[in-house]
Amino acid sequence: MNNNPAIIGASLPRLDARDKVTGRSIYVDDMMLPGMLYGALLRSPLPHARIKRIDVSKARALKGVKDVIVGADTPQIRYGNWRLVPQSQDELPLAVDKVRFLGDEVAAVAALDKETAERACQLIEVEYEELPGLFTVEDATAEGAAIIHDDSPGNVSLNRKITYGDLEAGFKRADYVRDDVFTVHAVSHAYMEPCSSIAAPDEGGRVTLWTSTQVPYIVQCLLAATLGLPENHVRVIKPNVGGGFGGKMELRPWEFCAAFMALRTGRPVKFTLNREQELAFGRRRHAMTIHSKVGFTKDGKITAKDFNVLLDGGAYNSMGPTATFLCGNFGAMLYRYPAYRYLGRHVYTNKPPAGAMRGFGAPQALFAAESQMNMAAAELGIDPIELRIINAMETGDEIPEVATISSCGFKESLVKVREMSGWDAKRKEKSPGRGIGVGCYSFISGGVFNWFNTKYNFATAEVRVFEDGTAHLLTMATDIGQGSDHTLRQILAAELGIGIEKIRLTAADTAVTPKADLGTWGSRVTLMSGNAVIDAARKIKEMLIPVIFSQFDLNQIHDVAFEGDRVFAKARPDKGLTFGECVYKALRGRRGEPLTAFGAYTPRNRGLVSPAFSFGAQVAEVEVDQETGLIKVQKMYTAHDCGVPINKMGVEGQLEGSIHMGLGYALMEDFVMKDGRTLNTNFLDYKIPTAQDMPPGESVEIDTYEPEGPFGAKEAGEGLVSPTAPAIAEAVHHATGYRCMDLPITPPKVLKGIGKLK
Amino acid sequence: MAMPHFTLHQPSSLEEALDLMSRHRASMKVLAGGTDLVPKMRAGAIQVEHLISLNRLPGMNRISYLDDDGLVIGCGARLSEVGANAEVRRYYPALAHACSVMATTQIRNMGTVAGNLVNAAPSADTAAPLLAYKASVVLVERGGRRQVPLEKFFEGPGKCAIEHLELLEAIRVPVPLDRSGSCYERLSARSQVDIAGVGVAGFLALDMEGKILAARLALAAVAPTPVRCAECEALLTGHEPSPDLIARAAAAAVRSARPIDDVRATAGYRRAMVHVLAKRVLETCLSQAQGGAR
Ligand SMILES: Cc1cc2nc3c(=O)[nH]c(=O)nc-3n(C[C@H](O)[C@H](O)[C@H](O)COP(=O)(O)OP(=O)(O)OC[C@H]3O[C@@H](n4cnc5c(N)ncnc54)[C@H](O)[C@@H]3O)c2cc1C
Repeated sequence: MNNNPAIIGASLPRLDARDKVTGRSIYVDDMMLPGMLYGALLRSPLPHARIKRIDVSKARALKGVKDVIVGADTPQIRYGNWRLVPQSQDELPLAVDKVRFLGDEVAAVAALDKETAERACQLIEVEYEELPGLFTVEDATAEGAAIIHDDSPGNVSLNRKITYGDLEAGFKRADYVRDDVFTVHAVSHAYMEPCSSIAAPDEGGRVTLWTSTQVPYIVQCLLAATLGLPENHVRVIKPNVGGGFGGKMELRPWEFCAAFMALRTGRPVKFTLNREQELAFGRRRHAMTIHSKVGFTKDGKITAKDFNVLLDGGAYNSMGPTATFLCGNFGAMLYRYPAYRYLGRHVYTNKPPAGAMRGFGAPQALFAAESQMNMAAAELGIDPIELRIINAMETGDEIPEVATISSCGFKESLVKVREMSGWDAKRKEKSPGRGIGVGCYSFISGGVFNWFNTKYNFATAEVRVFEDGTAHLLTMATDIGQGSDHTLRQILAAELGIGIEKIRLTAADTAVTPKADLGTWGSRVTLMSGNAVIDAARKIKEMLIPVIFSQFDLNQIHDVAFEGDRVFAKARPDKGLTFGECVYKALRGRRGEPLTAFGAYTPRNRGLVSPAFSFGAQVAEVEVDQETGLIKVQKMYTAHDCGVPINKMGVEGQLEGSIHMGLGYALMEDFVMKDGRTLNTNFLDYKIPTAQDMPPGESVEIDTYEPEGPFGAKEAGEGLVSPTAPAIAEAVHHATGYRCMDLPITPPKVLKGIGKLK
Repeated sequence: MAMPHFTLHQPSSLEEALDLMSRHRASMKVLAGGTDLVPKMRAGAIQVEHLISLNRLPGMNRISYLDDDGLVIGCGARLSEVGANAEVRRYYPALAHACSVMATTQIRNMGTVAGNLVNAAPSADTAAPLLAYKASVVLVERGGRRQVPLEKFFEGPGKCAIEHLELLEAIRVPVPLDRSGSCYERLSARSQVDIAGVGVAGFLALDMEGKILAARLALAAVAPTPVRCAECEALLTGHEPSPDLIARAAAAAVRSARPIDDVRATAGYRRAMVHVLAKRVLETCLSQAQGGAR
């Protein structure tokens, strides 16, 4: 079905790459508008407090200050991404009555320059009555704990259950049961571009927002709602975005404040965060306490699994409900669990809210699940890869009422990674300080759930074609650096049989691109927007095919091909026109009506989770200094099934980025917090790995074809971030005998684990 | 925080620099590479009206070595230049190593050894090697010059013996003894772009019979200032080197450490690592010294 191997599955550099690496690309903070004001936010200095009084008079009186707002000045409309469940929408752009984390936004200033805006913030007087701060899920759920949100007594904002099969019978049948508790920590998205937004007033009380976001449509809807404006009064434009990883998938207070103050002052207003603010107050991956119980028969077959998770949500729901939901699904992936029970509880604490982050519940769930598989393998005396093969999911497998796996290259991945890493020999040869370990993943290619409660299709595309042989693709799909613009161009080029360079692309402008698109998250763009592009392209082809039939008087039995910028009878390539000529003739036939088509994709009858699942296995080789506890990852081997890769180079980039992120998660990234305050707010102390920490790697893509995906593709963006930590943890165990059950795997933990440090 | 406003002065002679410092004494800071100063100003931790840059002073970036005089590092010499200098690498490998692995390429290309010392961070990477080499600093003001042994220079985190109107003109390091060895080891969770969680520098020289003639061990990031380990040094000096002696000396080094828990490491881990690194450093020093090269 891949009729265009020069495009689909090729390794193509992105069109925007050169500008990005040479610093020529324009991001929001690079943009200036005439008369633009600079915004600054006043944040709560306390983790939990009641606001008694705010006095902004001194700030207002400062020369150069054009506007000062507090919660009371705003419409006070609550928002949150889960529109489907209005009571989950627990945020206000500026705090009213109460602050719930150190950094909660309390007031905003717009001034002629940034220094003045920041000085004015310091002049705002706020009187607080401090409330007890809750910083762990244990404290927050303890009897008699302070209440963070009045409507959530007990501080549990959400419970999520999944059950199928007979759990009790499953455990009864088991010869061996493991019961373990794992804890995983919060980490930062650490995207390169700190958040930035500019709002400008538009005619008729409308407003335009340029913002660094993953979800222009969601921002449009929620901004309109919080401003009390019709949706169509708000235009959101996404320029280049320097990464998001889930951290930019909601409406944020500064987006609201920019728009609100732009409307009040009649002038554009810009907000840009810095790295310290991002690290101190920004969204993060959920810390979790995971209690997992799994039963096995003595020959290694899983009989049942009981999975209990407490998510540390921080002060607001953010994307926590989705993470809670997905964590339970990922707990049931990869292996055949005849019986499964999940209980996830999302807990409020007085810390910066956790949100979506690459993997969306999977890195945590799979650190626990994959570590536990490794532990079980050791106890059962079965090789860890063999134990996985015994239980692995296969194409056609069903998770009752949740999902059907329409393509699955998991077993092949396991076999391949075993072979390419030299697993059997290295696993047996025991040299102190050296170890090898395995971890696996499965991930969704977009979600079928509609928590945003959109009335529109999940993904859409508009394609226009012209007599000069070019095309214009309009889509709200949101490239935040992953390269989806290029991937969608490839898909359209392959479908229409024209060159990639012939395609103009307009993306992610809510006033111009077709409605709607849920944005970039859940590894949904290639599959969903890709399908929408194909849908639109096929409609265009339907308009062009008749031209060839009438022009060449073709017999009905012919088929028409689109290839090499030509449209022609498949069996008689001489009977054809250039793409441009064909469009020209079609235009004539339509008496000037442009050739435009809309395409859409919304997953239907695809279960409760995702239309398609990726799979993969990864092996890590490490060397551990048994005196210092320092871990050096020597090499990573990956075999994974992402369906048909559309752009091999793009998939490779995602894999390398995932290993880098997984490495940081496993070994060094961590928020050092005391009483709700983040202490490491720069990259010197919040340690993400550098290029020099990156191990070399080898990878193989397993050949599968996903029937639901465009040209057989599925996700390659997020799943790969999960296997790295459990693979490294297992390799460290193999090297030293120390088993990490609480990420990150730091040198002191290793030394304590091997009895060399008290 | 946005960058505050200030005036940048770029004197072209030492005299002019000292005059400017004196004239703007009320609100003035010396600027070398700016890699400590500028981030602090950005963060609002330091507010000054006048910056006196050393970057146009002639001759200040000199790195010269003479067999009878030892090494002189001018206050303008960049970390990367010191780290790459052939004589520094040959005679002062611990310092060369510190200058080549600390911070990042960009920071090393701007930052200076002098700035690293005056900034007086407990974790300053050049401090421990320079202490082990018994370096001194030359301080100059309008009234004249004085030389202060580095051992007496550090007073606390961010505090050193330099007066407000003094410039650190140069660092002087004596010629290493024959039959000596030296090395520096630093530890951090990340391979690069990191502040050392623990740093240990050592220097050992042997007499004609192979006994330890001189021993110096210095620690970074485990006390309020970089420190020498007197007990460890005394234990080694005058003795026949042996694995047992080195093990005891390494254990003694731990007693000179007064580490704290901070965002980078816990006190307990730091203490354990002083032990491990001290042992490794002393072993390397010894094998270099026994190899005959100095
Ligand atoms: C990302 C990053 C990583 C870093 N990593 C490390 C690291 O790994 N190890 C480490 O030790 N340091 C590190 N540093 C700190 C810093 O780079 C070093 O301390 C550097 O050597 C400072 O030199 P400078 O020339 O830039 O000093 P400046 O910033 O110019 O000055 C520092 C202080 O010394 C004063 N000063 C400078 N020169 C003189 C002089 N000649 N006379 C009198 N006063 C003077 C200044 O007034 C100022 O108070 C790092 C910094 C950054 C930003």
